[in-house]
Amino acid sequence: MAASNSVLGLYDTPDAGANAMDGLKSAGFALGTFDVLTGTPYPEGAFGEHVPQHRLFRFPFFGAMVGITLAILFTAGTQLAYPVVTGGKPILAVFAMLIIAYELTMLGAVIATVVGIIFESRLPNLNLGAYDARITEGYIGIVVECEDDKVEEARGVLQTAGALEIKTA
Amino acid sequence: MVTSSLITDAVDERPSNIEATATLAGEGRTAVSSGLKLFMWILAALSVIGIVGIVFRFINDDGRQDWGYYAATVGWMLTIFGGAPMVAIAPALAKANWVRPVARIASLGAVATSVLALLLIPLLFKLPALTEFSEVLGDDVRRRSIWFDSPDYAPHFWNALSLATLALVGMFMAYVMAIPDLAAIRDHGSGWKQRWAKKLARGFHGRPQQWEWLKMRIGITGALYFATLMFVNFLFSLDFAVSMVPGWKDSVFPFYHVITSFQAGLAFVILGAWASRRWGGTEKFIGQEQMWSLGKFMLATTLLWFYFFYSSFIVFWYGRSESDTATIKLLVSGPYIYLFWTVFFLVFIIPWWVMIWNKVRDSLWGPPIAAVIILFGLFLDRIRIYVASWSAVPDDLELATTSILGDMPETMWPDIFDIFIMVGLPALGLLSILLVTRLVPVVSLWEMQQSRLISKPIRFLRGHALLVGKPD
Repeated sequence: MAASNSVLGLYDTPDAGANAMDGLKSAGFALGTFDVLTGTPYPEGAFGEHVPQHRLFRFPFFGAMVGITLAILFTAGTQLAYPVVTGGKPILAVFAMLIIAYELTMLGAVIATVVGIIFESRLPNLNLGAYDARITEGYIGIVVECEDDKVEEARGVLQTAGALEIKTA
Repeated sequence: MVTSSLITDAVDERPSNIEATATLAGEGRTAVSSGLKLFMWILAALSVIGIVGIVFRFINDDGRQDWGYYAATVGWMLTIFGGAPMVAIAPALAKANWVRPVARIASLGAVATSVLALLLIPLLFKLPALTEFSEVLGDDVRRRSIWFDSPDYAPHFWNALSLATLALVGMFMAYVMAIPDLAAIRDHGSGWKQRWAKKLARGFHGRPQQWEWLKMRIGITGALYFATLMFVNFLFSLDFAVSMVPGWKDSVFPFYHVITSFQAGLAFVILGAWASRRWGGTEKFIGQEQMWSLGKFMLATTLLWFYFFYSSFIVFWYGRSESDTATIKLLVSGPYIYLFWTVFFLVFIIPWWVMIWNKVRDSLWGPPIAAVIILFGLFLDRIRIYVASWSAVPDDLELATTSILGDMPETMWPDIFDIFIMVGLPALGLLSILLVTRLVPVVSLWEMQQSRLISKPIRFLRGHALLVGKPD
């Protein structure tokens, strides 16, 4: 069942935000149910937050493999189907095939990467949760997605870490 | 013996996050915009003049030689606006901190490429089909081009598609780079800006996953933009210049076109940074470090201009075939000889000898002066190339089939409509960028905030420096 409440704690320093994240972990909130909102990118794991895993790197590799396979089939197939000796070179001339192989490998990688971006972006999350405009001024937001029975506990943890304000949506 | 760090803290006079947000995303932006509005009205008036010029160019059309100045202007705009986003892409990939304050100015060059895609349309109508001579010589005789056995209108289709792709990729990249700032305007702006920012920010709350995807999209669209820019320059320079002149065969010329695009892009960003400091209230964000770093790159591309020009020229010089001699005469020593030497001094000699001095490079006034000289020089260079190419009309069959430029065309001087076009179209490109800056801050707020988080002013004994951390 999806979480129905979004609780946001607002902090004026990154340290306080990181402490809130530690507090939520200690209180038993599962990784992935709480997140940090910032107005500027922080290095991965700076708040001890759940680092989202993506699989985009697999797409160009897969595309490149498909591309080079097609290139080898295409060049070898046409040269074997029409065996014309050119310049005394072998029918399957590797150096000539390399050019096509390179082009199709890159093309496959590029197309697969674009497809990967679209696929990995998934559908937009229409439930945006609690938010505060001061986050884009440099404040740190810690947002917890939880069920009704955990709301008070989440508010308590965020308050203990020194939240300036707590919002629930 | 020194055993510990000599670095000590210095006073941090950079704008705070709240001050930066107020200046770049909040009401502070409107305080400096009254002069800008007047300038935009002037640009709008010039743009109308440019459009009038296009209309009258169509009405007074005596052949494709009349469109040389139009082609030169479009070529110049591609050179500048197409090259500018590369200034945001290349240093950012190398995690250069200095580029953050000028990254937005650079990326906005992509906005003008969408205008450029529209301006290409009249030129496509005037670009001759590959079967230009088929009525007289038969369908199997085609004008010389890179499109050997392609359909008759292959250059038209692929040029339009490539430039449209460049505009789309560039606009998408500029948009992605602006999403966090649009979120800031959504949170702190007012009126129509806030309404538009809310629509465009699309629920950006600054979650780690959103930042991760933002960085990836910037990286991937940046790489795509670079590849597309190379391809567009390759096609445009070959189809709208080289292929227009019988006997001009030059594999180096597209790369000459690309390198001048980088040179012009850097010059545009330097001028934009200077203007933004002067009239946009961004002097707290853009400083000497940006001018110095951009100036070094501009000096490097200035030296590369000569390298690529010489690499191309020497082939014709030593080739000495009839077509090689004719090509040199057309582009260098013939009807445009004075233009060539002016270009040589404005694009190479003068910027070289201005920017070679560290004191000039490391100033707020030196790089902008060199940038103006370079941009003007490159405009003359595009005239030298495109006006000469479009005036070389092969008007007899022998000329068309032997691929040698016979009668050397005379110098083509601009008429009043050409002047309208040369003034109006760049004004239209600039106007499109300034219109976007009405909504999007000219300095990237989120990048400035990130820079502030990962750097601090320090003292090294008695000297001052900025200590920059480069995590991940």
